[in-house]
Amino acid sequence: MGVFTDRNKLVTMEKAASMIKDGDMVAVGGGLCMREPIALLRELVRQGRRDLHLVGTAHGFDVDFACGGGIAMAVQETHVSFEQDFGLAPNYRRACETGQVKIRESCCNTIIMQLRASEFGIPFVPVRSIKGSDEIKLHPEFKPMVDPFTGKKVVLVPALAPDVAIIHAQKADIHGNLKIMPPYVADVLFIRASKKVIVTVEEIIPEKEMIEEGPTIPYYETTAVVEAPFGAHPTSCYPYYAYDREHLSEYMKSARESAEAFKERYLNKYVYGVKSPEEYLDKVGGKAKRDRLASWTEGRERWMELFTYE
Amino acid sequence: MSERFEVGIDELFVVNVARTIKDRTTVFHGVSSPIPMVAMYFAKLTHAKDMVYFGGVSSAVDPNPPFLPPTTNDWVMIQGRTAMVTVDKIFDLAQRGELDRSFFSGAQIDKHGNQNVSMIGTPEKCKVKFPGGAGGCNLSGDCVNYTIWTTRHRAQKKGDKKFFTLVNKCDFVTNVGHVTPYGRREELDLVGNGPDWVVTELGVFDFDEKTKVMRLRYLYPDTTVNDVIDNTEFEPVIHPDVRVMDMPAREEVEIIRKIDPLGIRKLEYPERELSRRFEI
Repeated sequence: MGVFTDRNKLVTMEKAASMIKDGDMVAVGGGLCMREPIALLRELVRQGRRDLHLVGTAHGFDVDFACGGGIAMAVQETHVSFEQDFGLAPNYRRACETGQVKIRESCCNTIIMQLRASEFGIPFVPVRSIKGSDEIKLHPEFKPMVDPFTGKKVVLVPALAPDVAIIHAQKADIHGNLKIMPPYVADVLFIRASKKVIVTVEEIIPEKEMIEEGPTIPYYETTAVVEAPFGAHPTSCYPYYAYDREHLSEYMKSARESAEAFKERYLNKYVYGVKSPEEYLDKVGGKAKRDRLASWTEGRERWMELFTYE
Repeated sequence: MSERFEVGIDELFVVNVARTIKDRTTVFHGVSSPIPMVAMYFAKLTHAKDMVYFGGVSSAVDPNPPFLPPTTNDWVMIQGRTAMVTVDKIFDLAQRGELDRSFFSGAQIDKHGNQNVSMIGTPEKCKVKFPGGAGGCNLSGDCVNYTIWTTRHRAQKKGDKKFFTLVNKCDFVTNVGHVTPYGRREELDLVGNGPDWVVTELGVFDFDEKTKVMRLRYLYPDTTVNDVIDNTEFEPVIHPDVRVMDMPAREEVEIIRKIDPLGIRKLEYPERELSRRFEI
């Protein structure tokens, strides 16, 4: 919802993370195990950001990691899991059950409609569902009412304008034009509804090349751009890489054990003790790993293998 | 033709879910839904060739994936598609009353088809946190109809206690059935008509027209009415013509195996259920 006209929006990961403040409402892009801004979340954990209010639809690694890394205070997502692949999200679950995060669970269309209200510049919208569900208990801000035009029951939900949207995508130029390859999930809505938009991308390309490709999002809608190859790992960012089941499997082992085991064996190894993106790549398996995750292009059998290896 | 051929519970279950899909309808599956993923793709290739097939959060129209992955948001699920839409367009379709079917499940499912995908306990003092309903709270209200499925109907015994999935009352209602804690569906002006089928590993149910309580219609070759009653906390209605479900044709089972080489259709079961096999 802002307008950003800087000619050069390229910043470092450290600088980008510093633009997100304690207590901010943050819309996290991507979904489940695809195209989530994990490198930026790692930097937020490293910088010790606190009390973030996370907003989104169906998510997985990102939210679980943020809960385990201690940066989240409230979670207003609609679903957090590793689906039937790895099952329940252990850090998220623990954070909800110990009261470390407030449960603000919502539903996809509710969130979508609230983001649209923000995008449209209107204070609220009516939705026709939610009625009959206990989700209304989690959201005292929702107002059931009778539609004055039809006499039917509706629920009014207020505009949702996150302080910042963090999005990982394929390409951008330094001016901030952004290329997202579908599926977008809720990313386009997040960008239009949020006050600031920080994007991390696999590749920075020349503006001329971007104009020829045709940006998904025009430059004036993005605030800052970070070049972050492998920045969604261990979630996928096609066509560059599929998600990393081997890494997720290791992650799950310590996360399931306890908060302490997760800090000891995961955060210390992959977050606190890591000085650069190169060192991170090295720790998660280096070029061999990157090549393997890119091998989905080599045919059905190779792609299938990536969904079974751990 | 006399050669022995066996169908597994996992394949038969997929067929049961697929049978709830009609041709020339709009159908969407949500997240954490391996069985509906297989059932929808199977239906599209068999009896529902003109179904408008939305393959999950990936939001591809009529995908033709090379195999089915264990996640619903992956480039596998956009292969061979016609168009891409964005997921909000599928929710718009539903709110307009034009999404014919979706599929929901729950850690608890009550006699009226309400489901708990959220928590045991209260938001302030949560004892067990489940993943959350994703689009379920909205779509269970908006979809013309939907199918409920669970592979965990069989109650778990711990000491003298039995823990049911099919319960009298959900601790928390995420997705709405026919009679909610806030009133009946028609009193709430919901867009859709609610769940019309419930598929479990013990039987297939619809809902009694008057009481809107789950009603047993079909059994598996190895389950009985008593199995269903023993494993259900409430008293299900028993249809006067309960019978064993029709077995699929061998060719149909082979299609399931072909589209699901990774076996994601097996991911939702307690191990012991998967040894159930039936000769056809």
